[in-house]
Amino acid sequence: MKDMIERVDTRLDCWGEKLSKKNIRYPADLVTGILFLVVSVVILMIMPQQVAISEKDVVNGREFPKLLMYVMMAASAVLILKEGYKIVTKKPLEMKTLNLLVEVKALIIMLILLGTYFIAKVTDLFVVGAVFCCLAFLVYFRCRKKSYYAITLTLAVAIWAAFRFILGVNF
Amino acid sequence: MDMLQFIGPASGLLFTLENIIWINLGVFIGSVFAAIPGLSVILCVILFLPVTYTMSAVPGMMFLLGIYCAGGYGGSVSAILINTPGTPHAAATMMDGHPLSQQGRTKAALKIALYASTFGGIFSALMLLFLGPQVAKISAKLGTAEYFMVCLFGMTIIAGVSGKSMIKGIIAACFGLLLSCVGSDPMTSYDRFTFGVSRLYLGLDLAVCLIGLFALVEIIAKAEKKHSELNMHASKISKDDGKITKDEYKRMVRPVVLSSLIGSMVGIVPGTGASEASWFSYNTAKNMSKHKEEFGKGSVEGIAAAEAANNAVTGATLIPLLTLGIPGDGVVAIMLSALMINGLNPGLSLFTTDGDIMYAIMLGLILVNIFMFIQGKFLTSLFAKVVAIPQQILTPIIVIFCFAGAYSVNNNYFDLSVALVFGLMAWLMRKLELPAVPVLLGMVLGNMTETNFRRALLISNGSPSIFFSSVFCWIFIGLIAIVVFSIIRSKIKETRAAKTATQEVSSNG
Repeated sequence: MKDMIERVDTRLDCWGEKLSKKNIRYPADLVTGILFLVVSVVILMIMPQQVAISEKDVVNGREFPKLLMYVMMAASAVLILKEGYKIVTKKPLEMKTLNLLVEVKALIIMLILLGTYFIAKVTDLFVVGAVFCCLAFLVYFRCRKKSYYAITLTLAVAIWAAFRFILGVNF
Repeated sequence: MDMLQFIGPASGLLFTLENIIWINLGVFIGSVFAAIPGLSVILCVILFLPVTYTMSAVPGMMFLLGIYCAGGYGGSVSAILINTPGTPHAAATMMDGHPLSQQGRTKAALKIALYASTFGGIFSALMLLFLGPQVAKISAKLGTAEYFMVCLFGMTIIAGVSGKSMIKGIIAACFGLLLSCVGSDPMTSYDRFTFGVSRLYLGLDLAVCLIGLFALVEIIAKAEKKHSELNMHASKISKDDGKITKDEYKRMVRPVVLSSLIGSMVGIVPGTGASEASWFSYNTAKNMSKHKEEFGKGSVEGIAAAEAANNAVTGATLIPLLTLGIPGDGVVAIMLSALMINGLNPGLSLFTTDGDIMYAIMLGLILVNIFMFIQGKFLTSLFAKVVAIPQQILTPIIVIFCFAGAYSVNNNYFDLSVALVFGLMAWLMRKLELPAVPVLLGMVLGNMTETNFRRALLISNGSPSIFFSSVFCWIFIGLIAIVVFSIIRSKIKETRAAKTATQEVSSNG
């Protein structure tokens, strides 16, 4: 069993090292500008379906979100123009680097969170999700101390019990 | 609005066993959270906000204020012990706290931090007590158009100082304000942006969104750390006697008083917080000190200045919150929702109609600082042990707290999915370097901003000239212009300084 865990750890380390060398660089400001320009246009387009109004209203429920979207659009346009100017004048853009190892690890954590949510929802027992969460995170951290498993699981059950029986949360 | 008429009933409301217990619980939890690097005060307040939903206003606020104030002090424990600030604003304390600890005077460093924090906190609470009602009187003169301008002013300053780019701050603030529009229209009750999901009709619950935006994202951010970086070295308080000499006490007086004043001034301005106050005070103390050479090497003045300032912010941030509804920082923005749940709306009425509750909260802030002092005096060694709790244990426990907290708001799993979506969204925002605090402020201020905007336009029959019709409007327009101008100027200066530094490095290389 110990050998197997060692082998898995070595394999994971090997993958991790390969992934840690892979980076993706992207112009953060330009991407933000384009993304939120698209968001504001889409929101403005769907507004008639999503926000019902009465024709009699002097100032209706669309006015405020519409104003917000125009401001967002203008701010996004400024970001795009600023970065566009840098491209034209061949100045360096604001670049950000994504490390593939970090993103894969973030994805695994996200999957643990989703797993916790689905297990708790499907079983309708929050404590089952909580136990899964503890075990999954301890495995993620490659924890080998049995005492950590015992402490974490005890705390998980204790938190559930405190919410269930002291605060009266029904889960 | 006579203060004396409210002091009696407020004392009756405040000095109950229930409040004393909640204050102490808040102070303890806040100290523990702030002492652990990676856990923030805002995370702590978010996690425990649902607990206050079943409480009345005074115990609920006392609990949250306990967390908030103790968070100001607790961050210094790990800063002094392991050279890692528990909270960002404890970074200035670390400059001298850790060197003093390395000289074998850990207890003395912790004592100085505690004394200075307590003085700063009480000074700030007194500022709130005396200044708050005066600002509230002014706020009573504001109409809907002026209130919209106040919201705009608050949003501008926060969008401007929250991240690297003011434009990104504005985008984030607009996004937060848009999220506040989800649910029923506050004036007509028609549903907006619900996409056919009936649960969204009541809007997005702030506590649930914040769990995703600030707490779950920190869990996802563990991916950025190597396994070896996740645990702090176990630390113990050294066996020194913790004695502070008479001369050291004398030297502490001036920086503590001055920093308390600076902290209170900084705290009143929305968007600026404890970090700015502690660094500003630290530099001021250094410039005014007769022992400049000691700074960075374990100066008692340095520790005292930084700690007094970051705790002096706590009461001052409540001044714009309670009088105008403008939260000074993210933590008090969350407190605003705790107040509103109890039907308490910021403004003059809070100091008149609900004067007893309000004065109980303001007096309670002094009490919170006293209990912080007592707990600090007797439990610091326990807080020091907490610093070394392994992340392997802490991480799943925080997740379970987050999920239990999100579920308990409305007793359904839908809120958990909302929290997860906000967590993912916050992670993507980090990748784009979009600050999360303006989103929070947008969500908190959204309803107030929109309602005042629409009411003002209704009064003027749709004419935007109402926003330029009074002296107060023009004052706020002027303030917004000054803020925008000064932020742009400071950003240009920063860019130039960075360019010069790069050129110097390349020419030297």
